[in-house]
Amino acid sequence: MMAASREFEFVVRKWNAWVPGMKCHPDWHDWFNNQDATEPELALISTHVPKLLQRRLSPLARAVFNAADACIDGDVAMPVVFSSAHGEVNKSLEMLKDMQRGEDISPTAFSLSVHNAISGLFSIAYSNHQEITVLAPGQDGIAAAFIEALGLLQEGHDDVLIILYDEPLSEFYPYLPFALTAKTSGALALKISWTGNGLPLQLCRSPEHRNDGEHALQIFSFLQFLVTDEPSLQLGNHRHSWVWQKK
Amino acid sequence: MENELKQLIIDALDLEDISIADIDSHAALFNDGLGLDSIDALELGLAIRKKYNVKIDAEKEDVVKIFSSVATLAAYIQAERS
Repeated sequence: MMAASREFEFVVRKWNAWVPGMKCHPDWHDWFNNQDATEPELALISTHVPKLLQRRLSPLARAVFNAADACIDGDVAMPVVFSSAHGEVNKSLEMLKDMQRGEDISPTAFSLSVHNAISGLFSIAYSNHQEITVLAPGQDGIAAAFIEALGLLQEGHDDVLIILYDEPLSEFYPYLPFALTAKTSGALALKISWTGNGLPLQLCRSPEHRNDGEHALQIFSFLQFLVTDEPSLQLGNHRHSWVWQKK
Repeated sequence: MENELKQLIIDALDLEDISIADIDSHAALFNDGLGLDSIDALELGLAIRKKYNVKIDAEKEDVVKIFSSVATLAAYIQAERS
């Protein structure tokens, strides 16, 4: 439960991730040791997703669906916090290029380029009518999604699903001097609650000034924290820093 | 014309699992029929404008009637082009 000293204790009940070249959970250690060997591939999605919706899923949306699916028990709906720095911005860039060439913009492409498009498709596909939030925390990294999810637990929800996702930013955008894009796409889903079986974690602010990169990079730092024996993980990007501690 | 339009629908709307033979010219395209939605209607409108240079103006035309089936769409496009 919440303590007075701004420490938040919660339990990761289930988690799952999707990264290119990754099919199943037990191989996470191998994946980290052989990251350069991975070939891009399309994430598999549940056959329960209606065909007419499947055609609307971008590679990033498929990664999100794949990661989330293993954290959802049947059709039990729960609030979801989506968090992505860049979302489908590469799609927006392609549309801007089309406009520059004087071409008409595809209404479908436009509707799927907005930041909450994936969450909307997810809500329809899984008939999840609970509260859905989509964050674009960018520089502030992944902690904001946890804070949002803890707020939802505090409101009385039993479980909250957090989904962190990003794909590499188009080379059109200047990366340097920022650390805002990872080498590969990644989607990490975590179902959290106050109590229950799973991985108990504590989250609190850290006074350290850190430079761990932005949201897209922090997803992989957190994934590594989950699959290794590291007792704690500190993440910050020039501004606020946070520490996750295994209990 | 109707088969050409069916192929356009399949291509423009990414209906990979559907073939021309699966689309009944007189069946409803939206909701109960093929199950297409309002975004598909916009996308199809754009595809028709690009291919046939026929613009279906939602302000002036009875779009529900025009888009109701492949047959009604084909008839409208042919009438506009002649």
